[in-house]
Amino acid sequence: MNFDEIFAKLQGDVSSDISKQVQFGCNFILSNKDNFKNIIKYLKEVFDFEYLVDVVGIHWPEHKNTPFEVVYNLYSIKNKIRVFVKVFIPDEKIETISDLYKAALFLEREQYDLVGVKFIGHPDLRRILMPEFFDKHPLRKDFNLKDRSWYNDVDEQNLGIKYKHL
Amino acid sequence: MDEKTINDSGKFGDILTINMGPQHPSTHGVLRLILDIDGETIVNATPDIGYLHRGVEKLAENRMYHQFIPLTDRLDYLASLSNNLAYCLAVEKFFDLKIPERANYLRVIFAELARISSHLLWLASHALDMGAMTVFLYCFRERELLLDLFEIATGQRMTSSWIRVGGIRADIPDEFINKAYEFIEIFSEKIKDYEGLLSKNRIWLQRTKGIGILTKEDALNYGASGPIMRGSGIKFDIRKFEPYCIYDKMDFEIPSFEDGDVYSRYLVRIEEMKQSNRIVKQALDELPEGPVMTDDPRVGIPSHEEVNERMESLIRRFYLMSKGFTPPRGDVYSSIESTKGELGFYIVSDGTEKPYRLKIRAPSFVNLGIVPLISKGHMIADMVSIIGSIDIVLGEIDR
Repeated sequence: MNFDEIFAKLQGDVSSDISKQVQFGCNFILSNKDNFKNIIKYLKEVFDFEYLVDVVGIHWPEHKNTPFEVVYNLYSIKNKIRVFVKVFIPDEKIETISDLYKAALFLEREQYDLVGVKFIGHPDLRRILMPEFFDKHPLRKDFNLKDRSWYNDVDEQNLGIKYKHL
Repeated sequence: MDEKTINDSGKFGDILTINMGPQHPSTHGVLRLILDIDGETIVNATPDIGYLHRGVEKLAENRMYHQFIPLTDRLDYLASLSNNLAYCLAVEKFFDLKIPERANYLRVIFAELARISSHLLWLASHALDMGAMTVFLYCFRERELLLDLFEIATGQRMTSSWIRVGGIRADIPDEFINKAYEFIEIFSEKIKDYEGLLSKNRIWLQRTKGIGILTKEDALNYGASGPIMRGSGIKFDIRKFEPYCIYDKMDFEIPSFEDGDVYSRYLVRIEEMKQSNRIVKQALDELPEGPVMTDDPRVGIPSHEEVNERMESLIRRFYLMSKGFTPPRGDVYSSIESTKGELGFYIVSDGTEKPYRLKIRAPSFVNLGIVPLISKGHMIADMVSIIGSIDIVLGEIDR
């Protein structure tokens, strides 16, 4: 089972509105927001892509129509092949795949926290690495590395305490 | 939760919520677990992480490719050489480089020694959590030999930054080979001691058998990799499935056990240490002579000897060190079988000398996701055993 066969079958059975790209030895399937989940579901059920390795969110502020990109990294242990499903999304909202893979519970939370992609339907979409009161998404390109803010006067546990500004 | 709820065992009980960590010694770092308990039984466990978040992925976007290598040391600081290797392999994929054979062998030797060292520390601390002080002292004794080996070759005991894009920093000194052979001899004897102390120890068996059972389906569904996956009966190892460096030439086996409990994860790691020892021995036997850094002008850093003799090398070195190198545009993913599981780097390049986006697929982070699942219904004391068996490193989880 190689990548071309998988792609041909996907194009026939799921959607013809996808394209493929082989880059530096990595197999990418480019899809749009509407049918990416069907593709992942089909890959999981038909080609045994049972292992969700990673979810990557990327911010592209210069792409005016699709400022966000989400890449799903899937591996099929049975067929020994790795496939990446790439989705460009016009706003920051995308459907969750945590109902297909439980691994997405943590991975999507991380991307929500750092990149700010909202996974619609995720049961527990909270910040995971940054504190709850943090109001920005650090891996966006408009977050400047040297532009730091201090949170000394934040009421972390909502106790109603008003801190004086230092 | 202070209202009365029915727990899994069907009893009514008052649910008490307590914190375990972030300063608890057996959470192996700054992991905080919010435990809902009914008496001594865990009803729910929620991990809370981020206490060690340094924003490594953001820092990577503001550094040149070479400058990021020292930061990879500080991800999984117990096996820094594996992290260096994973990152460098990902960057090398952009250039389709031919790495010199000797460098490839040395990379494998050090990645496997790092695996032994990390597993030894795991065994030591896990056994100490269970109350076996002797194993702790024995493991640290052998780990000291390994750290000495790292110091001889790389100059550092832990954060080595020794593997570079295109090869390795410098060749090993002559005394390393003999010392490494000595270690293999010593270690293959000593590992029998650990097994003798633990494998059939009644207390050990009671604390680990049947605790934290993860089924095959759940292991796949939750994306658990490494020894946890293999402890649940899935024979998956990137060294065999997507061989990198020279693993396709090495003769070794993937240990896997069916039970999926803490004990079978322990067995997997013990077996892996033996296999690593085998790989190191093979690689040392076949270690070829030759250069350790590629001569590809795009990334290969000229050695000090060359720089002292040739003007062109001096210019090249100065250029690479001050201005960096520029990979072509595109996305790349490369992963290795790290000590904790699949460690991958997803790098997006926009054609400049800094990565546009760098995502670290940290094995411990994904493996931590199984804690709420496998700890339900166990006692608080078993929580220590479960966390220990997952072998988390918070430097890698929080990044």
